[in-house]
Amino acid sequence: MQESAATSQVPGAAAPLPDILPPVKVRRGLSGFIYRHPSMAIGGFLLLILIFIAVFAPLLGTGDPNAIAPARRNREPSAEFWFGTDPFGKDIYARVLYGARISLIIGFSVALLASIAGLAIGLVSGFIRWLDGIIMRIMDGLMSIPSILLAVALMALTRASVENVIIAITVAEIPRVSRLVRGVVLSLREQPYVDAAIAAGTRTPLIILRHILPNTIAPVTVQATYICASAMITEAILSFIGAGVPPTIAPSWGNIMADGRALWEVKPYIIFFPAVFLSLTVLAVNLLGDGLRDAVDPRMAKRL
Amino acid sequence: MLTYIVRRLLSTVMVMAIVALFVFSLLYIAPGDPAAVIAGEQASPEDVEKIRTALGLDRPFVVRFTEWAWQIVRYQNLGTSMFTGLPVTELIVQRIEPTLSLAVLTLIVAIVIAVPMGIVAAWQAGGWIDRFVMAFAVAGFSVPVFVVGYLLSYFFALYLEWLPTQGYTPISRGLWPWLENLILPTIALGFVYIALIARITRATMLEVLSQDYVRTAKAKGVGQGSILFLHALKNAAVPIVTVIGIGVALLIGGAVVTESVFAIPGLGRLTIDAIVRRDYPVIQGIVLMFSFVYVIVNLCVDLAYTALDPRIRY
Repeated sequence: MQESAATSQVPGAAAPLPDILPPVKVRRGLSGFIYRHPSMAIGGFLLLILIFIAVFAPLLGTGDPNAIAPARRNREPSAEFWFGTDPFGKDIYARVLYGARISLIIGFSVALLASIAGLAIGLVSGFIRWLDGIIMRIMDGLMSIPSILLAVALMALTRASVENVIIAITVAEIPRVSRLVRGVVLSLREQPYVDAAIAAGTRTPLIILRHILPNTIAPVTVQATYICASAMITEAILSFIGAGVPPTIAPSWGNIMADGRALWEVKPYIIFFPAVFLSLTVLAVNLLGDGLRDAVDPRMAKRL
Repeated sequence: MLTYIVRRLLSTVMVMAIVALFVFSLLYIAPGDPAAVIAGEQASPEDVEKIRTALGLDRPFVVRFTEWAWQIVRYQNLGTSMFTGLPVTELIVQRIEPTLSLAVLTLIVAIVIAVPMGIVAAWQAGGWIDRFVMAFAVAGFSVPVFVVGYLLSYFFALYLEWLPTQGYTPISRGLWPWLENLILPTIALGFVYIALIARITRATMLEVLSQDYVRTAKAKGVGQGSILFLHALKNAAVPIVTVIGIGVALLIGGAVVTESVFAIPGLGRLTIDAIVRRDYPVIQGIVLMFSFVYVIVNLCVDLAYTALDPRIRY
């Protein structure tokens, strides 16, 4: 068998290098970033627009999102009411723009709180071995309740408010982060540099702070973006089925859609506009997450 | 192997016990005093106290929990609905057919579509099919199930008038009427599930296809189809089956919402009604039942590993 013929058949094998390599074009600055991380750039840009909309909602030509005006019920989208009006005569354009606030606040808060709590639980579980069994069984238990049902059950206990929705969704998301952190901690504990630190007499709190915690930040940040996206969807679902933010507190994309549900066969635009905004926001966060993951772990980028 | 099964069963029982404890605590700390509700507005504090004793509500938490759990295990008694006065088990049984139809149909359709999608994407990695599958996966994770439901319903039911917009027909009234009502809900619910399975199938297949034995198979002239399906898929099966099991949680949560969009009178409707009426025993029963299904599905997945991959021995 001819050796050279066999190797040249193998796909993916390196081609013989030319004598002089062509100059590598290095893109710098913003265009370089967009070129290297297109999904992070698109996601980040979309998200910035949405944050802008949420922050400056009152200045974007919106009236009072809660003003009820029976005289102008169920108007089609027009120059006066860009997105039309709902069955109570409320301006859907104003409600959808203000709705961005609820979605973003809940998404970011849940991501932040679940990451912090998950980090704490995961670190404890990874270091205090006798607690590990108990904590992980509890997490297994929480994880076996589908997260939307868990959030529904928790919301049934309390009165509806934005804070309670945040807490309910956070509780449902904590087990995933805890498991992730625990896994990272357990693999890091086997690293030679951790052994070296232990041998040198470094105390456990310092080992956690110096050697373990910094290595968990990257995977937790990636996970946090996905949690943010899933929290936004969960909030919308909760509000849509009447277990989330009620329209009396604040307009949210989920409860705007719930208001339009009865009429949707004749007035589909009531549901259409919040649906588009919700999908775009979740898409933006997911793209950002994919981009972050690829940047943090380039080996994963090729596979997923 | 036998010890593994026993150990796995024991840990399943443990997990269910924790779920049960959590669900019971919900009712325990739920606002509102059942004794006061039953006694009515006119009752004196002594009467309320008498009813409390009669119902056993004054006993300690552990005693009440044990008795509640025993009632479920022994008699499948999940308690009584506070609103309708009917046993929760009966309410669930009444509503289970539509939800079960929707979930099982979605599970089958999703696997049949998603696995080949992932395989082709991995086979043609970098090609346009691959790009399409990846774009679909991102979209699947981003567009919520009720948005997909309304879009489908608008286009296929309202605009084209091919299918009914809403409702459910029991399977006893014929296969087509049953299926007709379920087509759109199934696609809507399957959307995210397909995205999830296709993505993991592609990722695992890519890894398996880069293995030496796949190259050997190619070198000795094994056909493309049999490399993909016989050599590679077999070895990619474990992660795919795992994610199918985990995804059942998405399916359950999504079913509640899909039923609401398509006005299907199933467990989703029961859940939403129970939330509005704050009917805690019903919410409790539904959460417990769905969690039980989810745990059992994943137990089966774990036990299937050995059948799928003979290298795994316990």
